[in-house]
Amino acid sequence: MTSNIPIWRIKYHPNTLDEVCGREALKGTLKLFINQRNFPHLLFVGSERTGKTTLARLFSKEFLGENFSANFKLVYANVPLTSEERKQASSEAYVSTSKIGSLAGRKITTPAFIQVKIKPFVQLKALGDSPFKILVVKNFEALGADQQGFRRLMEKYGSNCRMILITSKLSGIIEPIVSRCQIFLISRIKFENFKNLVKEITEKESLEIDDEVIEILFRLSEARISRAIDLIQLSSISGKIIDNDKLYEIAQTFQNDMIRSLLLISLKGDFLKAREITRKILSNYKYSSHEIFKLLLDELSKIPLSKFARCKLISLIAESDFRALDGRDDDIQISSLIAKICLFSEYL
Amino acid sequence: MSNIVKIPWVEKYRPKSMKEMALPTARVDRQRVKLDQELINFINKFFKERERVNKINAEIRVFNRTAIDKVQKEEEKILPENAAVLLEGPPGIGKTSIVYALANDLNMEVIETNASDTRTRDSLEKKLKETTKSRGIMDFIVRSKEKLILIDEIDGIYGVQDRGAVPTIIELIQNTQFPIIMCANEYKTNLQPLYTKVRRYEVHPLSKNEVLKIAQNILKKENITNINKEALELIIDKNNGDLRGIINDLQGIGQINLEEDINEVILNLHRDNLEEIFSLIRDLFQVTSLRDARRLTDKSDVDYNFLYKWVNENLPTFIKSNSDLAEAFENLSLADEIFGRIRINQYWSLLPYFFDLFAGGVALSRKDTPAPKGFHRVVFPRYSTGSYYSLTNTEKELIEKINMKYEISPIEFIQNFLPFLKILCSTSRKQLKNISDWLELDAKEKKLLK
Repeated sequence: MTSNIPIWRIKYHPNTLDEVCGREALKGTLKLFINQRNFPHLLFVGSERTGKTTLARLFSKEFLGENFSANFKLVYANVPLTSEERKQASSEAYVSTSKIGSLAGRKITTPAFIQVKIKPFVQLKALGDSPFKILVVKNFEALGADQQGFRRLMEKYGSNCRMILITSKLSGIIEPIVSRCQIFLISRIKFENFKNLVKEITEKESLEIDDEVIEILFRLSEARISRAIDLIQLSSISGKIIDNDKLYEIAQTFQNDMIRSLLLISLKGDFLKAREITRKILSNYKYSSHEIFKLLLDELSKIPLSKFARCKLISLIAESDFRALDGRDDDIQISSLIAKICLFSEYL
Repeated sequence: MSNIVKIPWVEKYRPKSMKEMALPTARVDRQRVKLDQELINFINKFFKERERVNKINAEIRVFNRTAIDKVQKEEEKILPENAAVLLEGPPGIGKTSIVYALANDLNMEVIETNASDTRTRDSLEKKLKETTKSRGIMDFIVRSKEKLILIDEIDGIYGVQDRGAVPTIIELIQNTQFPIIMCANEYKTNLQPLYTKVRRYEVHPLSKNEVLKIAQNILKKENITNINKEALELIIDKNNGDLRGIINDLQGIGQINLEEDINEVILNLHRDNLEEIFSLIRDLFQVTSLRDARRLTDKSDVDYNFLYKWVNENLPTFIKSNSDLAEAFENLSLADEIFGRIRINQYWSLLPYFFDLFAGGVALSRKDTPAPKGFHRVVFPRYSTGSYYSLTNTEKELIEKINMKYEISPIEFIQNFLPFLKILCSTSRKQLKNISDWLELDAKEKKLLK
């Protein structure tokens, strides 16, 4: 069956914890949890697209077994509520007068997101013989102030439902939550593991690739497996041998030149135009501020500049990215970076 | 004094017809348009649409009554963009007046709701839904006046009291039997769903000359001679084009017996909306000391959550040179960082730094740029962090289909997977066919991949 899947990244997507590439120590711990039938709340921290969610999902799948679909839920904290969900939240905001207790007839102030997306799931008992349910919250830092409300839930319903929180910004999470979780740092995949995986895939697809090219692939894909598989699939279309030139050429087509033009226009000192481009990029690709800074940094290494200028610009980007971690308005941080680059361009 | 009239001049001199009023300039997507013509067209088009839709719906209803449940047809609706318009602009420039004048010209009845009513879901429904959905029994016998719904001060829909009002208004727009005109002063993020549905007109204040003419006309009619032209200009400047404010000031001054220095009186006139956000932003970039900046932020009751985003949006309008801009943004970004820490860690004692940095720090960064002179257009913050997450329906459907086979978050799909799929599908027809067959895509979704 699997050989019919036309998209390789889906075809080679791991289906069990064992199939996950590398991360032996982490997998060992997770398996221990499965054998003990118990685990604390978990917090997965790592940069984007390193496989945090895949790990959480596969782990839950193996932990819950046949009850997986009933006892598992994945929530994206950065996806806003739809209008119907908001309606539902506001209609549930009142405790009925027929209920007994001091809250009867009062308004309750649970944040809408938690009220609609999380509470209904954690309140219901686990089905089947699973000891508890598993709730995975992605981009947890996006909950912002609602994290305080979440913390109560972790205590109150912790015995009924374990949470796996996933984030790329540890500093975006409030202390009390961090202290309630066991933290796992999920780093980028090691080159050795990456190499083995690529070899395995190329063998199955009967492609030719040598070690040197794998190294370039590792760099081009930024150690992200899905991106690497995409690159392999695209290069396989024009022949069985995968070489450097082909990889570079294909990686080029992925490039988006808007980032480059943003950098160039900022370096010309045109603030207003640069800001306009930024907003266009943000609305088309829906990048977070961190991703924009990262892309700018990558682009910076590709344009000719003096050592001094390059260092200065890198420090500017780093400073803005650092501030955006704690800051609340991405637009301000990005605008600030552009303004500083515009000023710097006058001294070039 | 003989000319004291009990009704406020603002009501007394409210224009009865669009012909006799000084029309404010309006823009749609930066294109200048004639507001009176646009509004009349809108009303006419609405009634034409309504007639068409009602005719179709009558047929559908007849059909549904006779058909079995399975083949029931949906009733048609008037498109939101034809059912409602939104007028945006600073207070007191004639947004409400033009609506009343329009209704008067077209012989319509205005049903108004404004910020003084509590606009909870229930109360809005009670007041508006009856009038929007059904027409009275009498309407079938006598052709009564058509109605025009005015939802004034829509940005006043705020917080807990008016909970659920925005969805109700959207529902209303979709089901209305009468045209709806909404007015707003400020950009509000919670109104975002509304903005995308209706046509928005940016209404700008009248020019100084026009205002001067109107004011002189009123003074003549009221027989007031103690205000000379210079004093009048002072009043107009102080009000930043807010015509309502000017007329109120005139009435105030005209009714006092003036022996003291008239300029002194004018400068001391104080009105609540003076600290309104537009003028606040303008004033902020005029200050020359940190103390003045503090005074401004202290005095205003504009939500600071919101205010610093306004500063961000309008900064380049007031500060031009790159060195000043960089310094201003340095302060603003530090303010933003501090604010983020305050919110995450509850360090409220850091709040004074936030205020001083985003208000004083930014305004005082102006060194090379000369002080802003004349009128500068203050704009709403167009970008808000929350709203970048919006997908089209086709994109959503595509994601749903893919999610059945492969779990991927919407964001990752847009940034990462979709570009790849597009490249892959563009390599050959066969690839496109393979992929779309495997994902069971329809034509619309297939087009997205091309």
